[in-house]
Amino acid sequence: MNIALRLRGIRKVYPGVVAVDGVDLDLLPGEIHALVGENGAGKSTLANIAFGAVKADAGSIEAVGTVGLVHQHFELVGRLRVWHNIMLGREPRKGAIVDVDRARSRVAELAERNGLAIDPDAMVEELPIGVQQRVELLRELEREPSVLLLDEPTAALAPAEIATLFSTVVQLANRGTAILVVTHKLQEVIDYTTRVSVMRHGKIVARYETAQTSVDAIARAMVGGELPQVAQREKTGVKPCLAVRDVSAGVDTTTISGLSFDVHAGEIVGIAGVEGNGQTALADAIAGMVPFTGSIELDGNAGALRHRENIAIVPQDRHHEGLVVNWTIIENAILGRQNLPGLRKGALTDWRAARTDAAAIVERFDVRAASLDVTVKTLSGGNQQKLLVGRALIGDPRFVLAYQPTRGIDVGAAALVQSRLIEARNRGSAILLISFELDEILALADRVLVMFRGKITGSFTGAEIDRGKIGRLMAGLT
Amino acid sequence: MKVVLRLLAGPAGAILLAFVLAAIAMLIAGVNPADGFYWLFRGSLGGRRPIAETLVQTTALLFPALGVSLAFRAGLFNIGAEGQLLMGGLLAGAVGAHFAGPQWLTVFVLLLIGMVGGGIWGGIAGWLRARFNASEIISTLMLNFVALSLAGYLVAGPLKSPLASGAETAPLLPNGWLPAFPSIGSISFGDTRLTISILIAIATAIVLRFVFTRTVFGYELRAAGEAPEAARRSGINMPRMTLLALTLSGAVAGLGGAAIVTGVLHRFNTSLSPGYGYTAIAVALVGDLNPLWVCVAAFGFGILEAGGLMMQANAGVPKDAIRVIEGLIILVLAARRYFATRATAAPI
Amino acid sequence: MSAGIALALTLLFLTLIKSVPIVFAALGGVISERSGVVNIGLEGMMTAGAFSAVIFTNLTGSPIVGLIAGIFFGAFLGFILGFAATFFKVDQIVAGVGINLVALGGAAFGLVLIFNQPGASPQVNQLGPGQLLPQITTGEAAFIVLGLLCAFGLNWFIYRTPWGLRIQACGENPRAVTDAGLDPLRLRLYSVIASGALAGLGGAFLSICEVNLYSDGMTAGRGFIALAAVIFGRWTPWGATGAAVFFGFFEALQYVLQGRISWLPSDAMQALPYLAALFAIAGLVGRVRAPAADGVPY
Repeated sequence: MNIALRLRGIRKVYPGVVAVDGVDLDLLPGEIHALVGENGAGKSTLANIAFGAVKADAGSIEAVGTVGLVHQHFELVGRLRVWHNIMLGREPRKGAIVDVDRARSRVAELAERNGLAIDPDAMVEELPIGVQQRVELLRELEREPSVLLLDEPTAALAPAEIATLFSTVVQLANRGTAILVVTHKLQEVIDYTTRVSVMRHGKIVARYETAQTSVDAIARAMVGGELPQVAQREKTGVKPCLAVRDVSAGVDTTTISGLSFDVHAGEIVGIAGVEGNGQTALADAIAGMVPFTGSIELDGNAGALRHRENIAIVPQDRHHEGLVVNWTIIENAILGRQNLPGLRKGALTDWRAARTDAAAIVERFDVRAASLDVTVKTLSGGNQQKLLVGRALIGDPRFVLAYQPTRGIDVGAAALVQSRLIEARNRGSAILLISFELDEILALADRVLVMFRGKITGSFTGAEIDRGKIGRLMAGLT
Repeated sequence: MKVVLRLLAGPAGAILLAFVLAAIAMLIAGVNPADGFYWLFRGSLGGRRPIAETLVQTTALLFPALGVSLAFRAGLFNIGAEGQLLMGGLLAGAVGAHFAGPQWLTVFVLLLIGMVGGGIWGGIAGWLRARFNASEIISTLMLNFVALSLAGYLVAGPLKSPLASGAETAPLLPNGWLPAFPSIGSISFGDTRLTISILIAIATAIVLRFVFTRTVFGYELRAAGEAPEAARRSGINMPRMTLLALTLSGAVAGLGGAAIVTGVLHRFNTSLSPGYGYTAIAVALVGDLNPLWVCVAAFGFGILEAGGLMMQANAGVPKDAIRVIEGLIILVLAARRYFATRATAAPI
Repeated sequence: MSAGIALALTLLFLTLIKSVPIVFAALGGVISERSGVVNIGLEGMMTAGAFSAVIFTNLTGSPIVGLIAGIFFGAFLGFILGFAATFFKVDQIVAGVGINLVALGGAAFGLVLIFNQPGASPQVNQLGPGQLLPQITTGEAAFIVLGLLCAFGLNWFIYRTPWGLRIQACGENPRAVTDAGLDPLRLRLYSVIASGALAGLGGAFLSICEVNLYSDGMTAGRGFIALAAVIFGRWTPWGATGAAVFFGFFEALQYVLQGRISWLPSDAMQALPYLAALFAIAGLVGRVRAPAADGVPY
């Protein structure tokens, strides 16, 4: 049996963490192999090493033919055209200039052969995310790889688009390409793959034939035991808190129009939707980061949103939008709250009070750090996120906007964050949760609103919440 | 210990490099480095008068360097300290020729006027950045040239001194002169150019350090420089911070200009600064943008400036070698990342 | 009436001549920034070009040799900046400032060392008629033609050749370039060297064509005005060229107006090009987007 890709003894160490710790992996031609693990397990790193983007510290890689990688966050050049992105580095030439016609026709032919519809002349940055992924996929396919790696390929896709992607993948596998799918979507693993390897803490801890295993078994192997429990929801009163009326706004190429909904005290409203359907525009409008038409009021007061005592925000990108990575935990703990009476003495910052505050956050939110004076850069992603969420929730805010609060963190940290959100809800905070993980929405929300192309297309409360119906609305179907 | 190690990896290492480069420059000029360094240090530290002159140069560099540091900390690149210095000095010179009052008041007013002049000049760039997102790198530099033209015109025309033949303002009335540096024991400095301005500069550094570490404004300024997007989302008014930071930065530089006018020249002319505003950038970087270390760095550069003249006169090493050394120091220190992300910087 | 036409023609020719150095530096700025490197050091590269041109013309008596020297030394400083930016991943802006000081100081140092006179060099042979391009009558006119050719050439290079397209990709998303199997760092290095060469050429024009010597600070901020031209011209070769001519106009205006308008003092008019640049970067309407990876070390 010939092996398309053989990894032996792969090891990669980053400062402070062993990302990949002695991994052996074989990929067979024509198989669809899933590489699963929770965030931080090392699967993305391993894929990048196999592709060649990252150099391993030890170990060997043997590949028959070329290896292609479709990244989780596409690496395309937005301001260039589709054909240019696909042919980059191998542009057909007419003398010293690029033969644009030949490039275009090659791309069209490639797209057709793989059953993917694409306009070679389109400007990549104007394309929706699902189509951009097709461009990235075609770029890899242009090189006719014998091994194709897909890193979290369905993160930004609606259910219908996921099916299309996998049908292309299956077609490729049938033609002999060895496929490795890095994912944490266990249901897709069961539905589409042939073999599964589970990674934890940089090692492969379990290997299964997909046909002989289950979502639960894989999940347990991923976590190494039982899944942590999340706090229980208690009964709460329902007084309206945040009122969004007819709000329209635009951020980059996405817009929202005519959004209207309420979030009540003591409830979690979940915004379900595929990434790129206006969630960022909504979040930025509520946070006051973009201008909008319509009204957003807190307890009937439009100005209240400006005051940081009332509203707490967990931003989507902890590194660029939430934390100052070179600062200490204490300095980060008061960011956004430095003007509150308790932390400010006249024109000066009350650093003693800040230290007490930081200690409280670290304690309540299980932020594992050597001391309060270490820089946030030294913390793991999960601990950074716990700090961020802790900072938001510590003051018992009236309203919380949590945007992807468990993005890219391990299961333990995610469970803690989710528990704290529920506890805040139980204590009477109004929480708006925006997440691209439908499972998270379903686990936490009292009410679910679906966003599609900048509008709210569905609303579900309590028993009405139905995964199938929501999934269809997320894809724009009815 | 940790502080020392960290410095060696950056500013201190650069200074060591400076010595090596200076030696090379001397060799190129056909001068024995031992000779060159002898005159460099004799010219800067070899006695009461040289030390006084070194401190004068230190002061001239320290003010704009503090201003540049402040802007840097806010994530803004101020290459306009030269122009801000000039405008501060210009205003101080213009007012000082006519302001008659008790010495303490006059000096205070003139220094304040200097801050206003520099502050306005920095504020223009700050406003352009805040309102139009126009790169402050370009605008502060353009303003340097505009300042030079403006000052040149005023000093040869409307503000020209009736007493002097050259282009300069009328001399300051005597009560506008900064008092000389106080005597230490039996050592007096009355016959040197050293005044209390060095003390004012050090005091400014201490104030700035306090502002950075203890005040809310300083906290917000540092946040804006280290993580602009996080700062914006935490509620900090970024355009306002930009305007304030560049205005303050200019004000501190302008104070320096006024200090030169009241302390050294006792009048204003366009030769006020042989490039202090540009050297100040190197000083700020070597001082790692920390006001207290900037004082030390300014002293080091002051040695170079004061000693450089002696070195040129007696050892024949052109003092422009010092400019080259400063440039190389900046080049080496560029390896330290000073700006967090370019995501929200102005297009350039 | 004919006096008016004569004035307009003078203004036109003077504009073109004054634009030349800015055009070359601006074209350098475009190629550098398109590849993702902010080149603050254009001023220093122009200085290096100007100074070395004079030295080598003085040495050999031939301005052509001086011209080549100017290009070479500008490119050399470009190499230093490019290398620092790509392989040491330094802060590009700080490094650019350093380069400027090194060049300025180095030239002043060199003046004393080589010519034994501070401030300005002795006069050298000027680039004259027919020396650069045989058919063209004056050195300045030849440079104007050269400038247009360079703008045309750069435009063609960036938008029509594979390397130009790859350089564009480097400036937007260097990761995509790596994924395509190319080396964005090397592409960036070449671009910055080219930008230095262009700036050096512009500097050489100043010292051995427009006049015939080097004097301290003769570049007078043109390298920075060129940066304003890059932004104003939206990072395109023709746009930057047009913007450079716009700024050159204001410099020319200063000469033409001198003495003619009594209430505008000549000192104040010296500030015109700089004020024009200020207004240009402030008054930009519409979205101004630099290449996405501009200034970010990869």
